[in-house]
Amino acid sequence: MYLRYCKNLLFTLIPHPVETEDYKISFFKPTTQQALKNRNLIIKLFLAWAVAIFGFQVLLRVIEKPVPEEALITFSSAWEKIEAGEATYSDFQAAAQSMIQVMGKITIQPDHYAALKDGTGWALSKVYPEDELSELQQDVLYLSELRERITSLRDDEYLQTKELIISKAAPALDIGEGTLLAQLLAIGLDDNLQVLQEENRMMIPGIMDLYLIHNRSFLTDTIFLGFPFHYFYTAVLLLVFFIGLCWIYCYRTDKLHAKLNFLEQID
Amino acid sequence: MKKISLLVLSLIPLMANASNDVTQLEGSFKVGPAIILIFILSLFILVGILFRAKDTTDYYAAGRGISRVGSGMAIASNWMSAASFLGMAALMYGTGYHGLSYVVGWTGGYVLLLILMAGQIRRYGKYTAADFIGDRYYSKTLRTIGAVIAIIISIAYAVGQFGGIGLMFKWVMGIEYNLAVIIGGSVVLAYTLISGMLGVTKNMQIQYVIIISSFMIPLFLLTYKFDYFWLVPQIGYGSAVQDIVEGIQISEKSGLMNSLGHHFAIVPSPEYAMPWAPSSGQTFFQWMAIAFSLMIGTAGLPHVIQRFYVVPKARDARWSVVWGLFFICLLYWSAPVYSALGTILSANPEVGKLSPDAIVVYTAQLGNINPLIVGLLAAGGVSAAFSTTSGLLVAGSSAFAHDLYVKVINPMARPKTQMRVARLGTLLMAIIITVIAMVDLALIAQLVAIAFSMAGCTIFPLFLLGIWWSGSNRAGAKAGLIVGGIVTLIALTYLVGARAGWTLPYNDFFTYYLGAWYFAWIGAPLAIATNIIVSKLTGETPLEIRKFLIDKVHS
Repeated sequence: MYLRYCKNLLFTLIPHPVETEDYKISFFKPTTQQALKNRNLIIKLFLAWAVAIFGFQVLLRVIEKPVPEEALITFSSAWEKIEAGEATYSDFQAAAQSMIQVMGKITIQPDHYAALKDGTGWALSKVYPEDELSELQQDVLYLSELRERITSLRDDEYLQTKELIISKAAPALDIGEGTLLAQLLAIGLDDNLQVLQEENRMMIPGIMDLYLIHNRSFLTDTIFLGFPFHYFYTAVLLLVFFIGLCWIYCYRTDKLHAKLNFLEQID
Repeated sequence: MKKISLLVLSLIPLMANASNDVTQLEGSFKVGPAIILIFILSLFILVGILFRAKDTTDYYAAGRGISRVGSGMAIASNWMSAASFLGMAALMYGTGYHGLSYVVGWTGGYVLLLILMAGQIRRYGKYTAADFIGDRYYSKTLRTIGAVIAIIISIAYAVGQFGGIGLMFKWVMGIEYNLAVIIGGSVVLAYTLISGMLGVTKNMQIQYVIIISSFMIPLFLLTYKFDYFWLVPQIGYGSAVQDIVEGIQISEKSGLMNSLGHHFAIVPSPEYAMPWAPSSGQTFFQWMAIAFSLMIGTAGLPHVIQRFYVVPKARDARWSVVWGLFFICLLYWSAPVYSALGTILSANPEVGKLSPDAIVVYTAQLGNINPLIVGLLAAGGVSAAFSTTSGLLVAGSSAFAHDLYVKVINPMARPKTQMRVARLGTLLMAIIITVIAMVDLALIAQLVAIAFSMAGCTIFPLFLLGIWWSGSNRAGAKAGLIVGGIVTLIALTYLVGARAGWTLPYNDFFTYYLGAWYFAWIGAPLAIATNIIVSKLTGETPLEIRKFLIDKVHS
């Protein structure tokens, strides 16, 4: 009922066909029945098109909330204690684990990666036996050298050195040796484990915020055919809708032309 | 025949040389992909020769003998450029959900094009965009400006295509990028000069089949291999998107590896799918502005508009859009699959920073797909760039020969001279495009988006008002064009300034609100408003134009 009222109101506000002999054309002042019907069809399809595209994105924007990843909550708590000088082993471990997780993100920028690498190595040095640290440092340097020399990432020596580093460093950070974080740790250690540059220390909390806070809502958290719903809507459904709109326009136009005996010239 | 068989047999070991033992994905000359590429390019030239243009009508409008579905395929092939084939996945690979604004912009624009323009343009019955502008606004000056704009837009658009061709030739041949651009550019130029649009249109139908097949086949293989719903990869990759969001641990898909020996695993990366992720550096405003600019740009691109002249009547023009959009969507539904799988397969930092514009090919390579199929994929990318570039060169040379030379400089020119001038125009454009493509300005899709914003600010308002409002007159058109042109100039100045390291006044403001990929969001409405205001304040459109609009376009 309400929709019908709105529709009537909309079409009352829009000018209707005016029979004229002055050869003036205006989309909003159709001069024939065919033009009137065509205009109304275009307006309906245009509104559907605009709402489907922009309306949905506006809705997404309105209802979204910044939600931190679990890793950020862990990191923030640990980093606060580290900065206050009250950190325990588990705080260093938690901070390092969170930083490694961000280092594994595909979108990470090189300077951010370098800062986190510095931070991870430093955190590791705080929980690693001091007398064994130089040996680990040697292994890390050797891995870097090997990386320059090898022709295949499946090189035996390279893989063995990585495994050696994992077997030493991962337990110290409470990371399982067969995990993805352990793999990232092996290639994510700095050449100088004991020093965290002041510039990087300042940057790290901001970097963590940047990569670990996301705009989420029920539209992003609802799963549909395996997709987050908003992603499915924009990447798949909207395109189906566009084809549908085009089909409707052609079909309705053909019917209208047939009804009004509207013949198109061929040249 | 025996010799050929022996040659092929001797090449098989070389072709089958998979990329298992490497530390990076770029490499030397790839025999299998090169043979496939040469075969496909030869096929294009052969078809071009068989269906070559015989006169100017053939050259410009393919004799108006193409069916709806055929025209739809040609629209899709013409449209599915390097930006679609390579650039779309590149954008999503780099910026996640933000990249979908390009998918929406480049498909949603066809709805506008159809409901506002397709049939009317066909009924107007002009060959080129400049032809329409010159006739509708009864102005030789506007015709000339329209032709120049069409040429500039075609060049801007084609730069991205040449970039794509260069990347793929570089990947296949293992040669330097600039040399690859020169070789690829020369081949596409030779083809366009030989065939003209009749060949192009026939060729486009063949190209569409090659493009879409080469794009789809690796998808089925990749989704099957990595345990996603492979029967419809365009739906099946939904789980891959969710896997990226939640992360994949090594134990979950044990045994699955990329070609470099890394586990099929990734840390939780919600930024890939969540809207306007801060780490992408892209905002809600930019998403909306890009989608809007690309949509109105679609409805203003000369080489897209020109496709409606090659169908017999307006009804065919309308239905060819539906078919065209369907064929286009087949690719646009698929591009995000490459991006999602490429994100997981290249997640290990050891893979290094990959060129996003080649992520489609890298994904197949990292997925350890047979090198011949990866080669077919690269050939499809080249084919996509070729089909669009041919259309662009024809649209640009049409503007040069038909709208500038015949209509302005030498109205008495014979058809033979006109053809010669068209070919000279094609050659000049190709040289300019090659030179610009060698300066690596931006991602392919972003370069193409510049052309869309230019079209949205200049040609779109002229067509929209020219068709739907007889009150829009010459003075209004000129004023609108000036405003659209100024906005374009400002945006491009700030783009060049940013690349050159200049700090221009209000740099942050203009680079954000008049970004080179989306300045039409404000340029187009301003140009339309100016056109309307100036038209209202000045004299009426001549009676014969108004009569023509009523009798021919709207009746």
